[in-house]
Amino acid sequence: MSRTDEELVASSLAGDRSAFDQLVLRWDRKIQGAIYRLMGSEEEARDLCQEAFLKAYRGLGAFKGEARFSSWLYQIALNLCRDRMRRRRGRTLVSLDALEADGQAPVLREEANALDLVEARDLQQRVRAAVLALADDQREVIVLKEYEGLTFQEIAEVLDLPVSTVKTRLYRGLDRLRERLVREGVGAPVATEMSAR
Amino acid sequence: MDCSDLRNDLLDVLYGEASADTRRRVETHVASCAACRDELLAFGAVRSDLQRWKAPEARPLLPRRSSFRLPSVLAAAAALLVATGAGLGLSGSELRFEEGRVALRLGRGPSEEALQRALAAQESRHRQELFALRAELRAGARPASVPAEGDPLLQRVADMIRESESRQAQRFTASLATLDERSEARRRYDLARIGAGLAYLDGKNGQHLSRTTELMGYMLDASEKRGER
Repeated sequence: MSRTDEELVASSLAGDRSAFDQLVLRWDRKIQGAIYRLMGSEEEARDLCQEAFLKAYRGLGAFKGEARFSSWLYQIALNLCRDRMRRRRGRTLVSLDALEADGQAPVLREEANALDLVEARDLQQRVRAAVLALADDQREVIVLKEYEGLTFQEIAEVLDLPVSTVKTRLYRGLDRLRERLVREGVGAPVATEMSAR
Repeated sequence: MDCSDLRNDLLDVLYGEASADTRRRVETHVASCAACRDELLAFGAVRSDLQRWKAPEARPLLPRRSSFRLPSVLAAAAALLVATGAGLGLSGSELRFEEGRVALRLGRGPSEEALQRALAAQESRHRQELFALRAELRAGARPASVPAEGDPLLQRVADMIRESESRQAQRFTASLATLDERSEARRRYDLARIGAGLAYLDGKNGQHLSRTTELMGYMLDASEKRGER
């Protein structure tokens, strides 16, 4: 029977280093996936994921166990993403991957022009661009709900917010996505009375 | 019921977190409210679109096998040893290592008591061997409840981060150089085109000027000749 996260944390604090390895093995793909959706870059996702586990390893003694270990780990990852985005604020940014032929990584801010070598050639690119164009707080909730599959309560725990606030941000995020995807010809327009509201 | 009041319930239904009462309430409302019905459908479509964005397969940070797990070959060997010893003991056989060779005596020879003693001795030897194996493997691990600066895990992760940053910096520099070359080439091309255009216009103007001069000359000649007459 596999040990719970809390048991592995306790073992790790007691000196069993393999216990922390087990936590890394259990969560690294999920955390990398979440960071990738938030930042849009595979390489950045790996870098920040490494940093997140490094921070978790160093700060394990401070983990009180009041929240789930996974929620704590997501918090660390989100804070790292926010720090990285804050440092980029106001600059036009294109991931270096976009300068290669495959155009894999997207532009992270819409107003990128001269360096915008990435064209949204297919549906996946347009969806990714739409998500990455969301406001940070809306994108976080969309990623945690849609891609990480967390419940509203779990998201509220990660973000340290009331559930009602989480739902408000999710609603606004879905609404913005709907508008943008319809505008880009991805989503199907829905009739009439919605636009009057 | 005001539509905005139903917003949270609508999200609960959309994500399958609604209670039975909430679901009924929402169903009753959307049956008579086209706007909310359309909104629920539209958000469902957005959710489908969102799932089309596939994340690349994440490369694991650690090898999938834990370095502190007892290798399966050794575990199998230890289990076989125990099973063989127990089997031989139970059958009344005896396995000995004498004078540099293995000796196996089969069949019932010694008494029940002697057999029990032999079996116990074998089990004790096997336990000691397993213990020694585990101790040998654990000898590579360093107990540490507090990660120190020289901790190999931290060092390894720090090295990986440094390598990644160095790679990114190199790629960024190379890409800037490429962009610079492209911009310069474009600038020269544009200047060349402008120059060619100007030369063309110059040529056209030159021709025009030449014809104008010729015409004026002709007209001057003509007027002079008229004056002479």
